[in-house]
Amino acid sequence: MQWLEAFWTKEGKGIPKDAPKKTGLPLFAEIVAREWWELVKLNLLFLLFSLPLVTLPAALFATATISRMMAKDRPVYLLRDFLEALRAHALRATLWALVAGATVIIGGGAISAYAEAAKTSLFYAAPLALSLVVTLFATLWAACFVMVSVTEVRSFWETLKLSALAALLRPLPLLAALVFVATLWIAHILFYPVSVFMPAVMNFSLGMFAVAFGAQGVVAQVLARSGEESTTQEP
Amino acid sequence: MASISLKKLNKTFGALRVVHDIDLEIADKEFIVLVGPSGCGKSTTLRMIAGLEEISGGELIIGTDLMNDVPSKDRDIAMVFQNYALYPHMTVYRNMAFGLELRKAPRDIIDRQVQEAAKILDITHLLNRKPKALSGGQRQRVALGRAMVRNPAVFLLDEPLSNLDAKLRGTMRAEITKLHKRLDATFIYVTHDQVEAMTMADRIVVMKDGHIQQVDTPQNLYDRPVNMFVAGFIGAPQMNLLPAKLTQEDGRFFALVEDHKLPLPQNFDRSPLAAYEGKDVILGIRPENFHELAPADIDPANTAPFHAVVELAEPMGSEVHLNLIAGGRNLIARVSPRFRSKIGDRVSLVADLTNAQLFDPQTERSILY
Repeated sequence: MQWLEAFWTKEGKGIPKDAPKKTGLPLFAEIVAREWWELVKLNLLFLLFSLPLVTLPAALFATATISRMMAKDRPVYLLRDFLEALRAHALRATLWALVAGATVIIGGGAISAYAEAAKTSLFYAAPLALSLVVTLFATLWAACFVMVSVTEVRSFWETLKLSALAALLRPLPLLAALVFVATLWIAHILFYPVSVFMPAVMNFSLGMFAVAFGAQGVVAQVLARSGEESTTQEP
Repeated sequence: MASISLKKLNKTFGALRVVHDIDLEIADKEFIVLVGPSGCGKSTTLRMIAGLEEISGGELIIGTDLMNDVPSKDRDIAMVFQNYALYPHMTVYRNMAFGLELRKAPRDIIDRQVQEAAKILDITHLLNRKPKALSGGQRQRVALGRAMVRNPAVFLLDEPLSNLDAKLRGTMRAEITKLHKRLDATFIYVTHDQVEAMTMADRIVVMKDGHIQQVDTPQNLYDRPVNMFVAGFIGAPQMNLLPAKLTQEDGRFFALVEDHKLPLPQNFDRSPLAAYEGKDVILGIRPENFHELAPADIDPANTAPFHAVVELAEPMGSEVHLNLIAGGRNLIARVSPRFRSKIGDRVSLVADLTNAQLFDPQTERSILY
């Protein structure tokens, strides 16, 4: 049984302090490889606290909080921090869900309607394109709102402004994250029933982690800029 | 206040007594090292102080409180183990915070203590990693950090460096010494490595077969060993212990080793020497007290030529350890790398008796102290 003991006690390679830090996709992959089990537990927590449905937005914000901490390489007490974030963001998350949900539904409806109409007349191509862009921007804005909210405590309106700015400043990493989320769900659909356990095991947490990872740079940027502006405005 | 008193402390396993009535006073903020060969009772003594072993007899007092029946968690001590004993399923942060979490310390205090300890030990970048990914030295730092966050009055370290390679051991020795100065706490350190003991300790406790042989500062242990065991254990390479006969000539004492007549220093206490005149003794000369040429700063009256045959030469870089044979006796001399010799050569060295030691061959105790 020495192999079992050695599995836990064998000396590792060590982690040099001054090793060049990974960035981008390699860093994403490294964090997922290291935290995969915590992501599974996070996914289960999200599902559990979403069951009442009214708590789904708060659970989403709590998942975003944990994901952000993982992306920042901060120590995480999973249950404790999840519950704390759930309580802290319950009201804002519910409001966000109503506004963002309504926006995305209206946008989706507009896209569907104009797409149908554009089949018969090219006149509707322009509104179709506009509704696509607006809906996409609204989705990015909604994602940035979540990430700004869980990063720093600001008023609702200020968070709206900052998240809009973030969505405009650097949309590509966040867009890539949302494409990744879409890929996860497409994979679940395409490979069903083999992929039946994907939503239960990782789709929600891994998707949110991808969003947190993609947004962390631009969120830090807009918050820092906002902090500088408020400093220069002081008498 | 973290002074420790051991009064007739002993430990018995069934019929076997492994620690025999230890009396030891450890001052507050002292760095004391228990050193000795395997099985001498040093780890058992440490574990009795920690509360991990029941005390069979005697008293353990920490500060002013009797601790014999006090559980480990209430003794205000923290322990660092040889095999680190980190929780493999927890991150470094959780490992370090665990003790405080059990004590229901507030979160902000836990975080502050852990971050502070991590900064001191330079392991901030490891806080979110599991022990499996860490090297031995990093794991040892985490184990130290786990002890530090509790701010104990006494740190107990049980051979913490023995699983590390030689180079890392040297680095960590310095780190632990610096840590002691920084934390200003009492450290009780167990090791079988006399180099660790000599470099780190304020005082060293040399143990053998469950008994304390000598308690003294490193330099005093080196210069004034009370018996042959301490003389041979402390110092590397170990002291040469040569059978000799004590004689007196014209008011001067000599040690006769085979056909060598070695003059003993005039400042040696004459009354114990007189008691052994004409009798067999054991003469102790450290390897560095053999020279190619008599050094200028040594009284020539305390030196004598010494002839031997080279059995083996071990180049160490800055010096050469010559394994010699003289009159059927093996001894070691430390000479400079310039001293050229090969196996089988008959060499003439100068023996410096200024710091020579004399022991009774029966009791093995020092004649001089």
